[in-house]
Amino acid sequence: MKILIIEDEARIAKRIERMTRDFFDKETGILLCDSVENGLSIIDRNSIDLLLLDLNLNGEDGFDVLQNVVARSFQTIIISAYTDKAITAFGYGVLDFVGKPFDENRLTQAFRRFTSPEKQPNGDLQFLAVKKGKTIRLVPIKDIRYIKGAGIYTELHLSDNRIELHDKSLESLEKLLPSTFERIHKSFIVCWNEADKLIVEPGGKYSMLLKNAELLPVGRSKYKEIRHKMI
Amino acid sequence: MYRFAFFTAFVLFLFTSCKQYTDYVKSDASYSYYVNEDRVQDYLGKSAEAVFKVQIPVKLIKRDNNAGPLGLQVNGFGAFDVYWDGIFVGSNGKMVKSGQPEVAGTETTYYEIPEKRGNIGLHMITIIGTQTQLREANRGIDIRLESFLRLHRSPLIVMSFMNLMAGAFLIAAIYYFFLYINSTRKETTVLVFGIICLLFFCLLIIEYVKFYVDIPYTQFYTRLQIVGLLTFAISILVPWYFMLQFDFKKKRLFLFLLFTSLIVIYITNYGHYDRTAIYFSYAMCLVSIIIAANATFRKIKGGSIVVAGLLASVVVNRYIFYDFGLFIAFTIIVLSMLYLHTIRAKAIEEAHNASLLLSSRLQLELIKKNIQPHFLRNTLTSLIDWVEESPQQGVVFIRALADEFDIMNAISEDTLIPIRQEIELCRKHLEVMSFRKEVCYDWEEKNIDENEEIPPAIIHTIIENGITHSLPPKKGCICFCLSFTKEKNYKEYTLQTIAKNRKTRKEKSNGTGFKYISARLNESYGTNWHFDSHEVEEGWMTTIKIFDKR
Repeated sequence: MKILIIEDEARIAKRIERMTRDFFDKETGILLCDSVENGLSIIDRNSIDLLLLDLNLNGEDGFDVLQNVVARSFQTIIISAYTDKAITAFGYGVLDFVGKPFDENRLTQAFRRFTSPEKQPNGDLQFLAVKKGKTIRLVPIKDIRYIKGAGIYTELHLSDNRIELHDKSLESLEKLLPSTFERIHKSFIVCWNEADKLIVEPGGKYSMLLKNAELLPVGRSKYKEIRHKMI
Repeated sequence: MYRFAFFTAFVLFLFTSCKQYTDYVKSDASYSYYVNEDRVQDYLGKSAEAVFKVQIPVKLIKRDNNAGPLGLQVNGFGAFDVYWDGIFVGSNGKMVKSGQPEVAGTETTYYEIPEKRGNIGLHMITIIGTQTQLREANRGIDIRLESFLRLHRSPLIVMSFMNLMAGAFLIAAIYYFFLYINSTRKETTVLVFGIICLLFFCLLIIEYVKFYVDIPYTQFYTRLQIVGLLTFAISILVPWYFMLQFDFKKKRLFLFLLFTSLIVIYITNYGHYDRTAIYFSYAMCLVSIIIAANATFRKIKGGSIVVAGLLASVVVNRYIFYDFGLFIAFTIIVLSMLYLHTIRAKAIEEAHNASLLLSSRLQLELIKKNIQPHFLRNTLTSLIDWVEESPQQGVVFIRALADEFDIMNAISEDTLIPIRQEIELCRKHLEVMSFRKEVCYDWEEKNIDENEEIPPAIIHTIIENGITHSLPPKKGCICFCLSFTKEKNYKEYTLQTIAKNRKTRKEKSNGTGFKYISARLNESYGTNWHFDSHEVEEGWMTTIKIFDKR
């Protein structure tokens, strides 16, 4: 596992590094970087799993950088002095927002979000940032019908029948998405508002009919839970 | 625009009140002379001591029934007795008598005609007297018949209006003098306006002083000379005032032209006092209209109102009240000046408010420097770490932070602080930052003059930028070096940052920090400063030049 810390205050960077090392196991690779510019080039050259980013969100280009990083496959935790920008940051799809000053407990809590497989919805996600070539597009969450896992990517199926590719895995997205989204299959997350009915096909095959008449498979292990929810 | 309407209404009100006046002074007696000219002339004898005798036959044609006793007004020089149909009705001064010199009479005198003698028909006015002085003036004798009551009342009515105006101008003059004395700015326009008001007050008083002081005929021309002098001064000052108010470009040229033309008018019309005064006012009006029209053209506030006021005064002077139109015209001009002055006062007030606002905004900005989240929260985070990891160093850090806060607190309300205090602030800030960034910061200074002052936290701001834009050195320190030089007409602070610069993606970093610096420099030095900040080989170079007042 690789973790990148972008923080320009040497003392704080060391503190984060120390606490990260304490939380994760010894094999975790930790990269340190003191500016966003250098950080972005490191991201391009290395594949990382988690980014701990100090972002001056009051600056004009703070959100450009934010969009750029949340569109990637890794999860992002913001560590910032501008605590009043937390909601906006969540809207863009960061895993957690740690306000400065922070203690070890708070940072550990953020790391738990990253490591635990369970969904920990914060309900604030507004967009998913999608990378298209060099540009970033923000896809509103309410436009998403369902999400299909496709290898290391995911496909976002939108209400206007377009499909967008996202770099994050289905597991990563599941952690970010609000509670209106439900994992129904190892390769599918569906928006609850789009679900019409649950269909049991002969041969013990379960499917979900969406309002636009599309049929999605439902995992055997998920069936009970979903049936319970639908009733 | 409602103000303009109010102004117009006020001027119209002035007019209407004067209109009534003309009704009052209408004659209630019709009469005719039996001489061809209006004025009796060439009656003086050859020698100065000689007694003259003038007989003026008059035919009283009609009288108002309820007009009261008949009065006679005589205008003439000398000392004389007046007879109506051979009956003595009064005397003016004392004639030369053997051994006794003449006691000069005054120019205008009034006599009551006995009730029984004032009947319709032919009468003979006989004036017997002497004139030892001003014989060369060759002034004639003029008479007027009128009800005795009206003869006395009409000057009172004229004066009631004129004194009203005079009083207003006296108060205005005093007010503007006080304003000038007690104002810190000492604006020339205020003084000039005060002087104009005072001169105008004097003009009105001198013009009408004849009604309540018996001026001996020997001094008759003195009053007219004073009036001429006052008109001359006013005719120069009013256009000058407009030039100052409207920031007119060719002040000297136009003032010189005006002055010469006034002198020419004086010389060519020497002796014709009324005509000189009228020509003076024409010249004044013309130049003022040119200035105001120019101001209107340049879209300066109040220009159009002054043009309107001047044109109105021309119209009034020309067509409405011939005898004292001049004074009405002057009043309108002064009123438009007053209006202009209030506009200017308002502008000054607004500018003052804006500067107060700016000052408090800058104060706020200064205080915000240390409580804005980027500074405070990052510092606190580092501080927690220091306290957790090495409490003793943490205490040193806290001390440095407390000192920086102390200095910030001490300077927060000042616009200029001693340079030493600013340097202390910078050093404390560097100490705090060295704990945060774990970078060694060095401070050097050259030629600092301890007596100099500087706006608060401007070098501090440059240092903040320097810290952000410098790469931490592999070994050694980032050095900030402040030097001061004083030249003949400016002083200069140079702050050099010796470090490698970070590469920035955009040229946008000069934002709020530099705005703060220029606002502070503006606040204390107006436009007499120059700020420059650029990359050099060794790092970064910032210079602040402060010029002596230009």
